[in-house]
Amino acid sequence: MTPKTYPPIQPIPAKPSIYGIDPALVGMRAAELPGIVSLKLSELFPDLPPTIYPNADDSVDPIRLAAEEALMKVDMGKIKPSDSVNVLASHHGFTLFGGRPYAELLKAIRDVVERQTGCTNIRLRAGVGMRFRETEEYMRQYGLDKHYGGKVAGIAPIDKGVAIETEIGTLYGLDKAYDADWIIHSHHSDVREVHFHRQVDKAVKPFGMSYARCETRSTYHQNLGPRAANFIARAIFESKFVQSKFAFAAFLDCGPHGILGVDADADLYALNDRATFIGCQLYGKIMTLFGEIDECVAVLDFPCPVPYVFSAGVIYANFLGANSDLYDLDTPLPGYTWYTEAFYGKANRPILPETPPINPGIKMCVHNYAWIGYPSAFFARHIPTVVVGEKQGELFDTDSMNIEYMDHAVTARSLPQAMDFARQVTGTDKVIVFDGAMGGLNVSESMSRLLIERAPVVSARVGTELLPKWLRQRGVDMSILERLK
Amino acid sequence: MKKVTLLSRVDTETCRGCSICQKVCPVLAIAVVDKKARVDASACRGCSNCESRCPYFAVTMVKRADPFVVSADPGAYDRNKIRELCEKAHMNPEQILCYCTGVRAEEVAAAIFGGAKTPEEISLATGIRTGCTIECVQPILRLVKAAGFELTPVKNGWQWYGATITAWEVPKTVAEKYSSRGFYFDDDRELLDRIATTPPQGE
Repeated sequence: MTPKTYPPIQPIPAKPSIYGIDPALVGMRAAELPGIVSLKLSELFPDLPPTIYPNADDSVDPIRLAAEEALMKVDMGKIKPSDSVNVLASHHGFTLFGGRPYAELLKAIRDVVERQTGCTNIRLRAGVGMRFRETEEYMRQYGLDKHYGGKVAGIAPIDKGVAIETEIGTLYGLDKAYDADWIIHSHHSDVREVHFHRQVDKAVKPFGMSYARCETRSTYHQNLGPRAANFIARAIFESKFVQSKFAFAAFLDCGPHGILGVDADADLYALNDRATFIGCQLYGKIMTLFGEIDECVAVLDFPCPVPYVFSAGVIYANFLGANSDLYDLDTPLPGYTWYTEAFYGKANRPILPETPPINPGIKMCVHNYAWIGYPSAFFARHIPTVVVGEKQGELFDTDSMNIEYMDHAVTARSLPQAMDFARQVTGTDKVIVFDGAMGGLNVSESMSRLLIERAPVVSARVGTELLPKWLRQRGVDMSILERLK
Repeated sequence: MKKVTLLSRVDTETCRGCSICQKVCPVLAIAVVDKKARVDASACRGCSNCESRCPYFAVTMVKRADPFVVSADPGAYDRNKIRELCEKAHMNPEQILCYCTGVRAEEVAAAIFGGAKTPEEISLATGIRTGCTIECVQPILRLVKAAGFELTPVKNGWQWYGATITAWEVPKTVAEKYSSRGFYFDDDRELLDRIATTPPQGE
């Protein structure tokens, strides 16, 4: 069946946050622009598995059911009624498919653990990246503070630390993440920052990031190199300290098109292998398809910082590097990752000439709605950027991470004016919108034609050529491919 | 180099003197005196850590009436010495260390030659680690160590606890044990060495 185009999918609504402008100031969403259509991912890639969310009723009940079913299979025998438990969460989960599915998983974990073990001292500790109050906001927005009886805390990488002895020396975790008898690692298989983790040990990564101190995060991003860095999380997870507290992991299984189910396991590496497969196979296709885009205007329109806005499950930061194969570990530096950014010299070009540029297919970026809280000046310096509305520019001027962002961007009064400007300057009518549209993506008609034409070729290439290579590079049991045939 | 446009302001009515702001300030610009937090406006580099971690929301960031720039000039010191120090820390002088402010290794080296001996003094001089305040702490520690200074964390502070492993210190046993799982220890070390030894673009 040839994929069709549909009316635009409703974007994720603007959210009230100290990191974004007042939602009332977001005048128009890109999905409302004339000529924007949507594509369904399940039609672009018909072999994508069925999802339980989004659904026709916009209900998270299927998430609750899947979570309870998966959690009931986990042996929780080591948690005693008098013990304390920290449910560890990360901010990224709340950005997936509107945030409610992840919140529902976190609620289900609390309920099932209490029911199965009799333990009542169950706390939620939600880690962040650079926006230190972000999970405090989410926990209030999704009622998690009430559900956990007030036993919730946002934890940030500059909070009090705890030294963790590992195979590679001392690393540092967050004291509040580990101040319980047991920890439950509550995460998801959404790939998000493939440019950083390269889908190596993705399921383990929060131990080196959202549950970790700044020293550890800096080790990851500065000390080991772009592909060795992922070992930091494994080193911490395998430490005696963490192993003595680890109870089990519970993950939302995500595809680019929706939530597939819930996976829970006391063996994190078994879960990691399954997440690696999903990350490479399901997300690998749409990532590779995005690499086929020869020219476009990218519109940012999602309640997240610039690199984290989503289109079809792919974040903008990954689109910036889509001109190379992010999953191929033989490529050390993609067009964008922090190691790549670090290795730009004073002449504003890479120190190593073979480093790929930022995706040259992105001719212009229209920043309609995106948050502060991530150093983004590099993007504006290398991609012509139009920011919609003066208030948004003013907000960036107050962010210590983005003091220079607006030095490299221009401002338009409205989204239609920004789009007119972009079309006239770039000469392309291909538009891709990063607005978190669930189940598909919003694009211009010309872009839809390109994606429809290239999807079957990409799908075949990923299945027969790229996926076996990606899994081999990661040491994933190749028989998983045989079993799926 | 950093353009310092923001300043921390404490509402002393709301402040309870818990001193968390003091523990997280990367330039030691805020301190609790007589149970109230006080900001040294000339030292504040506008990172917002105090505002973001205050449990009582007693701190706000305000626009400075007179923004200023902090920087250390690598051109003021012997180029070879700067390069030597950076290479000792396995860095290219032009390598960016701070993604928020764009401070490069050579500028940190210049701050050290200018008299900075601790990460806090380096942040004060260059503005490095006054954006997100998270990601660039290790390269600063590497340069301070390469310059021969002892790494002593701030007493009772949470600014940083210690230096950690680098690509040049990964035990062979670890590299061999895990290389089949997608960890490219040796290849990445070679990549970092190539970066460190490539002539700077400014030369």
